[in-house]
Amino acid sequence: MQLSISLLEITRAIDSWLNSIFHPHVAFGIELVLAGVAVILLVVAMAVLMVYAERKLAGFMQMRLGPMRVGKYGSMQAIADVMKLLLKECLVPTNSDKMMFKLAPFVVTVVSFMTIVPIAFARGIQLWDINIGVFYITAVSSLSVIGILMAGWSSNNKYSLLGAMRSGAQIVSYELSGGLALIVVVMMSGTLSISGIVQAQADGWWVIKGHIPVIIAFVTFIITSTAELNRAPFDLAEAESELTAGYHTEYSGMQFAMFFLSEYTNMFVLSMVAATVFLGGWMPFHIAGLEGFNHFMDYIPGIVWFFGKTFFILFLIVWFRWTFPRLRIDQLLKLEWKYLLPVSIINVLFAAFIALMGWYL
Amino acid sequence: MSASTIIFYIVSALVLVFGAMSVFTRKIFRAAIYLLFSLIGIAGIYILMNMDFIAALQVLIYVGGIIVLIIFSIFLTHQAGDKLPKPLFKRIVAGASMAAFGLIVVLGVFYKTAFKVTTEAGIDHSARSIGRQMLDYHHHGYVYPFEIVSFLLLAALVGCIVIAVKIQKK
Amino acid sequence: MEQVPLAHLLILSSALFFLGIYGFFTRRNMITMLMSVELILNSVNINFIAFNKYLFPNQLEGIFFTLFIIAVAAAEVSLAIAIIINLFRKFNTVDVEEVDTMKF
Repeated sequence: MQLSISLLEITRAIDSWLNSIFHPHVAFGIELVLAGVAVILLVVAMAVLMVYAERKLAGFMQMRLGPMRVGKYGSMQAIADVMKLLLKECLVPTNSDKMMFKLAPFVVTVVSFMTIVPIAFARGIQLWDINIGVFYITAVSSLSVIGILMAGWSSNNKYSLLGAMRSGAQIVSYELSGGLALIVVVMMSGTLSISGIVQAQADGWWVIKGHIPVIIAFVTFIITSTAELNRAPFDLAEAESELTAGYHTEYSGMQFAMFFLSEYTNMFVLSMVAATVFLGGWMPFHIAGLEGFNHFMDYIPGIVWFFGKTFFILFLIVWFRWTFPRLRIDQLLKLEWKYLLPVSIINVLFAAFIALMGWYL
Repeated sequence: MSASTIIFYIVSALVLVFGAMSVFTRKIFRAAIYLLFSLIGIAGIYILMNMDFIAALQVLIYVGGIIVLIIFSIFLTHQAGDKLPKPLFKRIVAGASMAAFGLIVVLGVFYKTAFKVTTEAGIDHSARSIGRQMLDYHHHGYVYPFEIVSFLLLAALVGCIVIAVKIQKK
Repeated sequence: MEQVPLAHLLILSSALFFLGIYGFFTRRNMITMLMSVELILNSVNINFIAFNKYLFPNQLEGIFFTLFIIAVAAAEVSLAIAIIINLFRKFNTVDVEEVDTMKF
């Protein structure tokens, strides 16, 4: 709590300082640029960290060491990978639609960065407190499939096309139950804005307060977000034994790096959304009645709570990847349309009943 | 001219340019992508008019749903690298003259009509008030059309499956 | 946003509408015709929102019309895509000129 208040003061100080020097419009423009740079730095730093953490975790789960050569315990491995991708040549296949081919990685990256905008990192640390926050994230993240389809079509390669179609079908169908899972919490907190949802969890996180319906929604959301990210066990779009690398088969160098970065950004955003909506965002863990315990929890800054929860969900997603075998395409679609979607529709009705009766804690 | 006005003119120029490109291009996939940019621009215009909810709905349904469906149907029915045939000259003349005539008539009607523009703030157009009036079953409520539309969507869902399903020949 | 005159919004929407009309008359491919129809529907939506915002700010009727148009458009497009795919299966083309079995 202490640290988050000081962060808010830092942003206010920067704002008043810029306004004292420049015209308000210019100052606003500079603030937009600063916010954008901050988001890009945060995402790139987290992506580099996550690539290393994922390779290490995969190593430990498979009883091996993971990267060890570059730097101490392989800590420089991710940076070396980034350097390699930056220095590689960007190849464009001959009979491809060149403009679309070059545009696709930008579309995917821009969309994944746009979804970070309404997320609250700590008290007051939020780029845009739009009053339809959750809805905005669902709407904008549905755009990322367009970039994937563009990449698949313009590569003029049968593996890319098949990978893009699989990926598109998967994302479009899993979006439904992901949205329904978010609706459960939106109904209980009575608002769509991210700050409002976080504020509604001041006396307890939804996953505890909302008991059965919210726990079902949480599990559904984690499954659907793993599927929307095209990660194992749902990584049919880039099943390397069947489709080489899926929609980004033809991409190399920096363009491939942009696809890679956007995949990791989407992963962060979905885990941040799950942490905000179900696990209380930057709100500390409170138990009603235990005053001393609650005060102790308040001393841990909100930003630590937020990133702790985010990394917990990231760990879950990584864990899935190295534990479950890949599904077949018919099993994948059957899981969504025959199990997840009916369960989430019934769950929404059940949650509406509970919210109406006020039976949550 | 404030900043939002300048942004409005830029966005509306983009909407028109991409709309025109989507109509005139001869590569079908590019037509879909230009249409996508045009629709995103329209969502931007809604945001400039403080209609956040409608803008998000536009992005979610038109861009994330309808354009994806159109692109899927392009994938299933066309080959990469094909170009659409050039439209016939008489169709271009007929279409252009009809569009120009219609545009002149409509703009003339708009020019003649005196719209009573009010500058009062009005009620808020947030998702909350839209939802309250939409599901209100008293005065000025829209719950009946809402139910009919949901029934229509269900019928469309069933109809799509019935039409597109492949009948197994015995 | 109050500075933008209503007339400019109407010019934008009517230009978009007649772009869609032009596309609908010149294109013979069913998918591109469908895209032109989408342009037409969107221009109508802009008009509804603009009239709601500028002329009747105390009501929400324009927004409701837009919502219903979007819902109906979604239903229409999904049915149209199903028809197009079925057509492609039977005739191996999506050109409206070539589908002339019922033409007498």
